[in-house]
Amino acid sequence: MEEKPVKLNVNNRIYELKVKPYQTLLHVIRNELGLKGTKYGCGTGECGACTVLIDGKAVHSCLMLAAQAEGKIITTIEGIGTYEKPHPLQQAFVEAGAVQCGFCTPGMILSAKALLDRNPNPTTEEIKRSIDGNLCRCTGYVNIIEAIRTAAEQMRRNQT
Amino acid sequence: MTCFCRVKKKQMHKFYIASEVPSKQRNRNLSFRPKAYLKPTSIHQAVSLLSKHGEKAIPLAGGTDILVDKPSNIEYLVDITGLPLDYIRKGKEGVRIGALSTFNSVETSDLLGKGPYSILVDAARKMGSTAIRNVATVGGNICNAVPSAEFPPALIALDAMVKIVGSNGDRIIPLEEFFKGIRKTDLKTGEILTEIQIPILPPCTGTALFNISRSSVDISTVVVAVRVTIGKNGTCQKAKIAIGGGIGPTCFVSKACKLLQDEKIRDHLIEKVALEVSAELNPRSTSIRGSPFFKKEAVKVLVKRALRQALTKTGEEC
Repeated sequence: MEEKPVKLNVNNRIYELKVKPYQTLLHVIRNELGLKGTKYGCGTGECGACTVLIDGKAVHSCLMLAAQAEGKIITTIEGIGTYEKPHPLQQAFVEAGAVQCGFCTPGMILSAKALLDRNPNPTTEEIKRSIDGNLCRCTGYVNIIEAIRTAAEQMRRNQT
Repeated sequence: MTCFCRVKKKQMHKFYIASEVPSKQRNRNLSFRPKAYLKPTSIHQAVSLLSKHGEKAIPLAGGTDILVDKPSNIEYLVDITGLPLDYIRKGKEGVRIGALSTFNSVETSDLLGKGPYSILVDAARKMGSTAIRNVATVGGNICNAVPSAEFPPALIALDAMVKIVGSNGDRIIPLEEFFKGIRKTDLKTGEILTEIQIPILPPCTGTALFNISRSSVDISTVVVAVRVTIGKNGTCQKAKIAIGGGIGPTCFVSKACKLLQDEKIRDHLIEKVALEVSAELNPRSTSIRGSPFFKKEAVKVLVKRALRQALTKTGEEC
């Protein structure tokens, strides 16, 4: 088995490691880098629990090989806020009660971040479309959409 | 109490945390163990790598199908995403879409957003979720040749051709001829699809795409793509109806379009065409997304809707 040396830029930190040709980005993020915020859900790109941002776009990390992510800017949920200083989206999710079991939350927040970075004032339809690849089985979509709308307002206020 | 504990312990094995679920239950094909990941930087290099390794190599683009199917006989993954095939151009000769264009770039393309080409934007929007559209490529979708894909019927309705590059040179063939059956294409070992070519469409051409799927993210049960071109005297110069969704082949092109040729498209004719298209179909009975009866009925409705919408899009002056 040929292991490939790769340099991955995850959350603005460069990791140099060797990956097997079949290892997914999700596997490397969770098991090699220890960033467990990104979840393994279905493994087939249907649930969105493994969503990360690649060059600012939401991508299922279970359907991308770690080797393919070389040279790209990878952002996981750990990279957008801290416990002391959460991202406006994280804060809004807490305040709106948009978190129940929490398994879908990292993916939801990253999908929403990809939208808000591109479109600071989205409509409800655009919000729904941005999280169309993220399943919440606690049926909390109403609060999630509300949280994204609140975060968008907050982020616009922060910019002015 | 002891008894209760024992029962609990016995039941415990049914509950796993995500990372501990046995591999078989998680759709992990453990025989997907390619030996090497290769990343060519030119089309020539990619073709020679694929020719050299033959059946043991597979071209990898977005990866959203390969990493779900996880084919076990593959030893070499040839990542072609480094090739300069991510473009959408519009010129005198028509529209050229690079095989590595993602569905997101089609969806957000200004060049395709207006006029009859907008059917491609509609088809791209219906494909998977945002995260899938961000990486899945047009070429990958075509080469996978699944019958439920929305994009091939839209391309076929526009008379798209595909450019194939191999070690013996290039060839350009109509997309209809590219599909040889479910998950079967005309691609020979060592060949890659590089470009989709769509001819300039005459004025007064309208297109429409309708599908039925259980949710926005789910694969389509039925897809109907329609293109009509109206001549100066108000009659139909050219019509094409392409249908996808487990109907039989990857994409079915209806012969019922002949009924529209040189005719003024009126409601009774639309009804007749819809019945004719439905009668032609022989949907697979093994499809899990709808019985043959359902699909034949659904196609009738979708063909009517699509023809009517395509007519309204031909423009007021037509």
